[in-house]
Amino acid sequence: MPEGNSSARGSGSGGALSVRYEHVTKRYPGSDSPAVEDLTLEIPAGDICVLVGPSGCGKTTAMRMANRMVEMDSGDILLGEESVRARPPARLRREMGYVIQQVGLFPHRTIAQNIATVPILLGWDRNRIDARVRELLELIRLDPALGERYPAQLSGGQQQRVGVARALAADPPVMLMDEPFGAIDPINRERLQNEFLRLQAEIRKTILFVTHDIDEAIKMGDRIAVMRVGGRVEQYASPAELLMAPADEFVEDFVGADRALKRLALMRVRDIDLWEAPLAYVGQPTAEVRAKLDSAEVPYPLLVDDQRRPLGWLSERDLAADIVPDRPDSAPDPILEVDDVMRDALANLLQTETQYAPVVDAGRHIAGVLSVEIISEFLTSPEAKTDEHSATERPHD
Amino acid sequence: MTSGIALAQVVLHNRSNPDCIQRNDIFCPGWAIDNIDRYVDPTVQHVVLVLASVGIGFAIAFTLALLAHRYRPLSTPFLAATGVLYTIPSIAFFFLLLPITGRGRTTAIIALTAFTLQIIYRNIMTGLNNVPPDIRDAGSGMGLTQRQLLWRVELPLALPEIIAGLRVATVSTVAIATLAVFVNGGGLGTEIYTAGRLTFKTGIILAGGLAIAMALVFDFALVTFQRYATPWQRAVPT
Repeated sequence: MPEGNSSARGSGSGGALSVRYEHVTKRYPGSDSPAVEDLTLEIPAGDICVLVGPSGCGKTTAMRMANRMVEMDSGDILLGEESVRARPPARLRREMGYVIQQVGLFPHRTIAQNIATVPILLGWDRNRIDARVRELLELIRLDPALGERYPAQLSGGQQQRVGVARALAADPPVMLMDEPFGAIDPINRERLQNEFLRLQAEIRKTILFVTHDIDEAIKMGDRIAVMRVGGRVEQYASPAELLMAPADEFVEDFVGADRALKRLALMRVRDIDLWEAPLAYVGQPTAEVRAKLDSAEVPYPLLVDDQRRPLGWLSERDLAADIVPDRPDSAPDPILEVDDVMRDALANLLQTETQYAPVVDAGRHIAGVLSVEIISEFLTSPEAKTDEHSATERPHD
Repeated sequence: MTSGIALAQVVLHNRSNPDCIQRNDIFCPGWAIDNIDRYVDPTVQHVVLVLASVGIGFAIAFTLALLAHRYRPLSTPFLAATGVLYTIPSIAFFFLLLPITGRGRTTAIIALTAFTLQIIYRNIMTGLNNVPPDIRDAGSGMGLTQRQLLWRVELPLALPEIIAGLRVATVSTVAIATLAVFVNGGGLGTEIYTAGRLTFKTGIILAGGLAIAMALVFDFALVTFQRYATPWQRAVPT
């Protein structure tokens, strides 16, 4: 079902381990249907794998079996090459970061003491612990003075960051995060998510991330496992793949009708085929420019300097002269960059009420033109792609 | 009692006013000052009774609570057993013990201890049960063993409730310990219930006042201890 491609992304990870679920099943006593059934999943070292699904789909159970907070009935989970059952649970858990929605900071311990929890359990010496706590407070960008405070004195967002720092304290190769931003208000959640992604780019842990929020899953995940009640994985794929080619109706419903729009958030302007603008240079005879216009995709000539940097759009009036003027009628607003997120680019176009925007590369040289039309064409096309993909990539039951 | 001392100063020139004693007035300060010595031993005995009973009671209740915390099914029988002990009328309990343990301090301490169990046990259990599940979950999720979780997280967090239980147990034991005199257990009761004293108001008020003062001192000591043992409770959100 999921392609077992061990991505090379984990290569830079400082001791991250891959996590492999092999035919894991869990049935709670007194329940007819299993919470998790025959789950097989491979998470490459250094990746964020999001388990997403409606409530009761077994995603949290699936996660909690990794650190044996829930014991599996059958199957196995391997960290690297070693089974999680090779060691006593307490020892295993000290090597896996653990972040939960309610954070669960110890209210009777200071922030610094909270962060030091696992290092103390591991018997580190005082100096090493102090240094590590300072380092982590810096990493989560928390004022070191707050280290002496108690959790009740911090805001919810700050507490959540401390929760993450506490989980990272002993530099575990694997982190388990259960709805870590679920209790945070939307504005701060967005910020914490971004902060965490920035952090993850540095630390490159293997992360199992549980959420019920598909938008969060798309944002945070390198890979997403969509689960449905009964603990079955319906699709295990990258966010883009999930949006482009939902494996079945369940995934399609879960991902939402606006999945095409969601895809824009995953794309950069460079990912789409841009139009070519008819370029005009200062001093060039307008006749030459007019000739280009006939066959161009964009009906207006774009004035560029000798470095091919856009100066503005030429109007009919500009072209009435014999040679191209050095001051165009309209400024080239907005100018987009190839690295802009597509969703932002569209917002920009709609906001400035322009139909075409020049796109420049890192050196500000013209790379093409983006239009609302290109995006709308793109948005309508995936439907066709969906059918091909789901036919070939539907997971075998 | 404070008012008694103030009153005593007013009438200091007339300390051994025989009329006051004759009339059995509500309080004769002169007599109280002259006879304060006789209250020293009973007071010390009373303190010993209270400390021993609450101390032993705490040790037993704590053990029971930890067992019940670990083995859940035990918690109800333990609650019932300590509850039965608690409901036996105190006087009856003292006399019930007489044929077994005889007259003396031991009998008194056994009965008083039995009375403290219910209050202390229930408060420890409440304290442990009130530890938020997410904190427990985070604790074991990070690799604390059951024992580490208990001693490093659950018991510290239960401390306010545990101390609340100790306060109630201590104050009520100070009061009930006055009955120890019926099994020859000493304490301030000797100055209240001894033959011929039951009608002497000054003596009863003095002994009772000392008991109240003792209860207040113990209570204050426990509150102060809690204050220093739970600094996080005073942490003001900023």
